[in-house]
Amino acid sequence: MSLQDWLWLVTGALRAHRLRSALTALGIAVGIAAVVLLTAIGAGIERYVLNEFTQFGTHLISIAPGKTSTIGLSMGVFGTVRPLSLDDSEALRRLPQIVGVAPVIRGNARVEAGQRNRRTEVLGVGPDTSAVWGIDVAAGHSLPRDDPRAARPFAILGAELRQELFGSASPLGQIVRIGQNRFRVIGIMAPKGQVLGFDMDNAIYIPAARALELFNREGLMEVDVRYEAAASTARITQAIRRLLMERHGREDFTITTQDQMLDVLGNILGVLTGAVAALGSISLLVGGVGILTIMTIAVTERTQEIGLLRAIGTGRRQLLLLFLGESVLLASIGGLAGLGLGIGLAWLLELLAPALPVRISAFYTLLALALSALIGLLAGVLPARRAARLDPIEALRAE
Amino acid sequence: MRPLDLLDFALKTVTRYRLRTGLLLAAMAIGVAAVILLTALGEGARRYVANQFSALGTHLLIVLPGRNETRGGQPPMLGETPRDLTIDDALALTRSRLIRRLAPLVVGSATVSFAGRSRETNILGSTAELLAVRHLELAQGQFLPALDPRRAAPVCVLGNQVRDELFGPEPAVGRWLRIGDRRFRVIGVLAPKGQSLGTDVDNTAIIPLASAQNLFNTASLFRVLVEVDRREDTARAQQAILTLIRARHEGEDDITVITQDAVLATFDKILRTLTLAVGGIAAISLVVAGILIMNVMLVSVTQRTQEIGLLKALGTTPRTIRGIFLGEAAILACWGAGAGLVIGAAGVGVGRFLYPTFPLAPPWWAVLAALGVAIGTALLFALLPARRAARLDPVQALAGR
Repeated sequence: MSLQDWLWLVTGALRAHRLRSALTALGIAVGIAAVVLLTAIGAGIERYVLNEFTQFGTHLISIAPGKTSTIGLSMGVFGTVRPLSLDDSEALRRLPQIVGVAPVIRGNARVEAGQRNRRTEVLGVGPDTSAVWGIDVAAGHSLPRDDPRAARPFAILGAELRQELFGSASPLGQIVRIGQNRFRVIGIMAPKGQVLGFDMDNAIYIPAARALELFNREGLMEVDVRYEAAASTARITQAIRRLLMERHGREDFTITTQDQMLDVLGNILGVLTGAVAALGSISLLVGGVGILTIMTIAVTERTQEIGLLRAIGTGRRQLLLLFLGESVLLASIGGLAGLGLGIGLAWLLELLAPALPVRISAFYTLLALALSALIGLLAGVLPARRAARLDPIEALRAE
Repeated sequence: MRPLDLLDFALKTVTRYRLRTGLLLAAMAIGVAAVILLTALGEGARRYVANQFSALGTHLLIVLPGRNETRGGQPPMLGETPRDLTIDDALALTRSRLIRRLAPLVVGSATVSFAGRSRETNILGSTAELLAVRHLELAQGQFLPALDPRRAAPVCVLGNQVRDELFGPEPAVGRWLRIGDRRFRVIGVLAPKGQSLGTDVDNTAIIPLASAQNLFNTASLFRVLVEVDRREDTARAQQAILTLIRARHEGEDDITVITQDAVLATFDKILRTLTLAVGGIAAISLVVAGILIMNVMLVSVTQRTQEIGLLKALGTTPRTIRGIFLGEAAILACWGAGAGLVIGAAGVGVGRFLYPTFPLAPPWWAVLAALGVAIGTALLFALLPARRAARLDPVQALAGR
């Protein structure tokens, strides 16, 4: 049988029962559309979360006080017998291939300016912070490079806090009070939005030494280190560990690199997308059962035709290929239709709900297509073998 | 035709095509079982979280220093404020009659060492009341003594894991160990509890509040856990705490009070939504099964044209013909859904057997919805083939055209 004849016979069988073929393909299409749409949402969320995490840039290492072997937040942030000090942060700055070091203290206090006041987040930071975190100072200056232990009381306002405290008036040069202390506003941060639930725009940034004083704390909560893009993460981590061990006498801190974080997160989110894809595949499975059913019926219906084909010399192999071709074609048509449907729905979703991140994942799309063809193949095997095994004489005689 | 005859007739046709019927049932069953299993998973997670919370006590309020005025922002979790929440603040709260007991907390991490072995451990500074408030259980010895919370004492209670790693098989109670640069005597060991809402109780050492404040050189409390006398009083107690602390803090509202119920409700809502979404996704497969039923019914209408013609010639009304085909679909759907129910229940049973601590159970609404959607879609999709059969012209049909 030539390829052309084969194609003619296979498509002919499908065209003979248009409605039936269409419905069978529809079953597969619904499954594929579900997989494509769900993985698009999954991949979209994955990218959204990773973007959130890389807002600060990728060449970052964060050091927190306290060492725990288990995953999770070390309680050392809240209190520790051997705190991470400003001197530690200064020492880190002198390491090679370091772009900047940002000490971090977070707290909560009432910020007053003239008659207005607002309870909000207070961030104790250093002069390098805007460079380390990649936040621009929209107006004025960033914190000056003072003696880190006796920094002058300057403050930088988050974009939204400035709006709350000063309205449209310029806050530069004005005085704000936090607790008992007075700070002179020297800059305004560019809007950054929420980063992992922490509202950067509603915070006020003051020198770390002043924040330690304000909150009556000994140690920093975190030190963020940005290193040169060309530097090796492992080597920098090693250098930081060695330096801090020398200063503290033992490893009582936790170093987390951005790469590690992204790896872990990427893994979790990847598993999530996979799980969602698996959920969608349940429909595909049911669609596969559909193809199996219809092909079984087709073999029974066409027993006479099969007998005739066998009588005029069609081999068992050729017959097998005929029925397999039919089921694979059926599934593939369904797969393609489902792909179109899924992409269309994803596009529609993006249009209707722009907040929901959607991203068509090429990997899962191709996987879904391959899967639909595979389902066709698997569902076709049983009926096709049945057809091929029919005895020609019995088959011809069948009603 | 009487309804019973109709059913009997449909039943015969269903059982005539064994393979075909079997496949349809399989398709239906997969869908129903998937919905039941997945929603059972979601519901199980919800119950698990709820259990974890009720293990902490359901009428619990958490007081933390600091307050954010940003709408929708998260509460200030790190708890550093210019004005401390002090032990005296906590003690003042005990005067409210709405409050049964409370446990102030100071947390941090320090090295715990004994005979050359050392380990970085979470340290919890609290009072004797913590045992009751957090529903902790002791394996050996006793808990912190009920002293004045302002007084430090060199005693500690170890979590199970810390004990094992420092002492191994040796007895721990009565021994002296070092936390940071201070010496403490072990007076008790906690029963293994595992992770309890993020804090690893097994890897914790509990010391008196004032000792922890000395150790970490802090005057402020990290949290105050407040147990309300009666659950109905939660809202009033929350107000009372805010008023009391405001009076003590020169009229400034600088604390946040979180109710356990509010936290639980948030989790509950998230997990319910998740269960619903997962069940919905699985229900798509039921629609696919419905399409399959329609397809097979269409085929069977074509195959049984002559039979339908005969029935019509004998005076069967189109209504009855429709009834025959719908009855067939209904039987298929019921059997399929039943099989799915059995498979789903079996899956849940196996899951329960493998993970006895996880309360796996399909919610009743999901079971009803799965059955309803299965039978509903089957009937809906059978409507078209049934109508097609009913409309056949008797003469044409008898001739098999």
